[in-house]
Amino acid sequence: MSEPAAAFTAEVYQNQYLPAGGDVVDAVITVTASGAGLRDVGGTPSAAEVIMIDCSGSMANPPTKLSEAKKACATAIDSLRDGVSFAIIAGRHDAQMVFPLVATLAPATPANKAAAKAAVQNLLAAGGTAIGQWLSLANTVFAGHPAEVKHAIMLTDGRNQHETAEQLAATLRNCERRFICDSRGVGADWVASELRTVASTLLGTADGLEDPRELPAAFRAMTEAAMGKAVAEATLRVWTPAGATVRFVKQAFPQVEDLTPRRTQVSARIGDYPTGAWGAESRDYHLSVQVQPGTVGEEVLAARVSLVTGDSVLAQSLVLATWTDDTALSTKINQRVAHYTGQAELASAIQEGLAARDAGDVETATSKLGRAVQLAEESGHSDTAKLLGRVVEVIDAPSGTIRLKPKVAGVDAELANVRSVKTIRVKKSEEG
Amino acid sequence: MAADGGGLDTVHGTECPTCGASVGETDRFCETCGAGLFEGLVPASSAQPPAPAPAGQRWLTSTGAPDACGGCGGTAFGPEGYCDDCGQRRPAGRNHSELDLGVIAAVSDLGHRHRHNEDAVAIGLLPGAEAAVVCDGVSSSTRPDAASYAAVDAAAEALLRALADGDEPEPALTVAARAAQAAAALAAGAEPGNNPPSCTFVAGVVTADEVSVGWVGDSRAYWLPDRDGDPAVLTADDSLAGQLAAAGVPLAEAPQGAQAGALVRWLGADARDTAPHLVTIRPDGPGRLLVCSDGLFRYRPAPAELAAATPAGTPIDTARSLVQLALDAGGQDNVTVAVLPYPAPESSQGATG
Ligand SMILES: [Zn+2]
Ligand SMILES: [Zn+2]
Repeated sequence: MSEPAAAFTAEVYQNQYLPAGGDVVDAVITVTASGAGLRDVGGTPSAAEVIMIDCSGSMANPPTKLSEAKKACATAIDSLRDGVSFAIIAGRHDAQMVFPLVATLAPATPANKAAAKAAVQNLLAAGGTAIGQWLSLANTVFAGHPAEVKHAIMLTDGRNQHETAEQLAATLRNCERRFICDSRGVGADWVASELRTVASTLLGTADGLEDPRELPAAFRAMTEAAMGKAVAEATLRVWTPAGATVRFVKQAFPQVEDLTPRRTQVSARIGDYPTGAWGAESRDYHLSVQVQPGTVGEEVLAARVSLVTGDSVLAQSLVLATWTDDTALSTKINQRVAHYTGQAELASAIQEGLAARDAGDVETATSKLGRAVQLAEESGHSDTAKLLGRVVEVIDAPSGTIRLKPKVAGVDAELANVRSVKTIRVKKSEEG
Repeated sequence: MAADGGGLDTVHGTECPTCGASVGETDRFCETCGAGLFEGLVPASSAQPPAPAPAGQRWLTSTGAPDACGGCGGTAFGPEGYCDDCGQRRPAGRNHSELDLGVIAAVSDLGHRHRHNEDAVAIGLLPGAEAAVVCDGVSSSTRPDAASYAAVDAAAEALLRALADGDEPEPALTVAARAAQAAAALAAGAEPGNNPPSCTFVAGVVTADEVSVGWVGDSRAYWLPDRDGDPAVLTADDSLAGQLAAAGVPLAEAPQGAQAGALVRWLGADARDTAPHLVTIRPDGPGRLLVCSDGLFRYRPAPAELAAATPAGTPIDTARSLVQLALDAGGQDNVTVAVLPYPAPESSQGATG
């Protein structure tokens, strides 16, 4: 058991009171890694960075896409701290090493950084898009390297058109748990669902950038976040009692991520869910457990939730269930649980509504996107409300009355989709 | 086993006076049966300095921690006290306890329907005085056994200390109730919540010429004369039905059901009115005081019925057969009864040796 460098806390928000016969226990667990503990260096994990830059023909149209991507790449290289290893990959219908020239990682020395930036400057836009090829090469480059945090950035400006969705899925399965990947789209032709699939499987974030000039800042932010990771890999460990079933485990903040199918069984009562690397940050998890109903007055431990790395428990908290015939207690709704139930519904309403819209199902699209507008309004999620406003005409937000806009720029729908999973926290003032 | 002298020595290094199991030198409770292992007064909190104990005093309590989970029988518990297998909270006490000081005795049982025994009982002896305390966890509260177990130990200790200091039984019972309330309230912890641990309280003191009882809630004390006079319930339940009965409605005719049985007074962090009711009688002849929880008297509420069902015999045999009666009748609730013969012997030397 080594002493972790980061200071973690886990707090539970729930209504532990169930009515007689009640068997579903919901809780939100807020896990926070605090900056103070994280600054204790010495425990800083070693890191490696791979940047995949789209060099397909469309990156030259407009030319700012490639020129800003080159600048962004240089910014990211400058953000690498000494001792980190790195590589740059050019992505087209295949993948090619830009720096170093062989499929391996190079140490981030001043000379290597300068050579890499020069190589990036010479990149030309030509060819197609096969994201799985790029990820596959990144996986090869990372393989066998001892770095604890392996982080990648994948930038694309278009649809993954030179391979099938199945090919991409197969590649992602090979890359899962090997490295973390943030995916970004630039321009007007990227596909939100592809970016989300990559980020979700590889425990990173997905986003779209409307203006190529945003690229350098975005690359710096991603690289610095990767350099700031204090724990390379942590899992959410959930103990539940005999006879209980985990209904779901979802990351609820900063973005919705259903971890339920990613459970690894540790023992009969314990399962682990991957959470990736941790820096100074705070995440919320929504856990729902079905337990054996107890007698009134009885208290049981419905779940013990811990964040674990190696043999170390970083933080732990208890989810309880107490049966009562006091309906004032059992009917009380926990604000955070309700809030995240709404945020998860918001994400799926947007995704399902946009999918229906693409399929020409106006009725379903109107109903789903109307519900999304209503949920965004209720929860005060103004960023999402604004994005939805670019796709639908809002007649009355509180009731979710909307009309689909006849003409929508493709990128507006993709932005609404890629950001559908981003959540906000409940405002402190709303908690009672 | 019990030493004649008092003092704070545990009955250590040897064996439990209740069940005979071997016990550790510093154990406060028998690991096997849960009986308290102290001669004399024992501070409820180790922060308090031990007080000198008078000669000939000893007490037993049902509040030792059990080894096994009440839900699944598992014996592994996490650091927070929940069963590693089924998640049930480790109960504060054992499913079945028998406390036997010879002169007086008590038995407590889980019953057939509950998962935890939320009743707690302690009995104690002083020269010329017998004492018993029963607390019944209010099952609609959170962790009710936390209240009842803390309260019973605090009350027994305070009661015996006050009696040893020469207090009359009624003031001693008031002190005991106050200690029980403080302990029950503390059992709620730093964040009591809306429905903190709660329990009832009933305590009895039998001396050479008096029988005194004090109570808060709906646990009861019955006076059962051997020959002279009629059996009587000395307590009046702190419930709606009990208030009706106290107002003159005969007990047997008092309305039944949850509404009528609702407690109007209890001990715990959310309790406001916690001073005990007090009653003292000076019986004409010998008899027995029964101090019990509703798990027993629900099956024989009327004093004459209960007297008819209470066999003669040693106090432990009597307590056992009364608990068995409740179990045979359905054991809907936890069942606890303490048996204190009147008059108290001049010294407690007749206790188990
Ligand atoms: Zn024992
Ligand atoms: Zn168990």
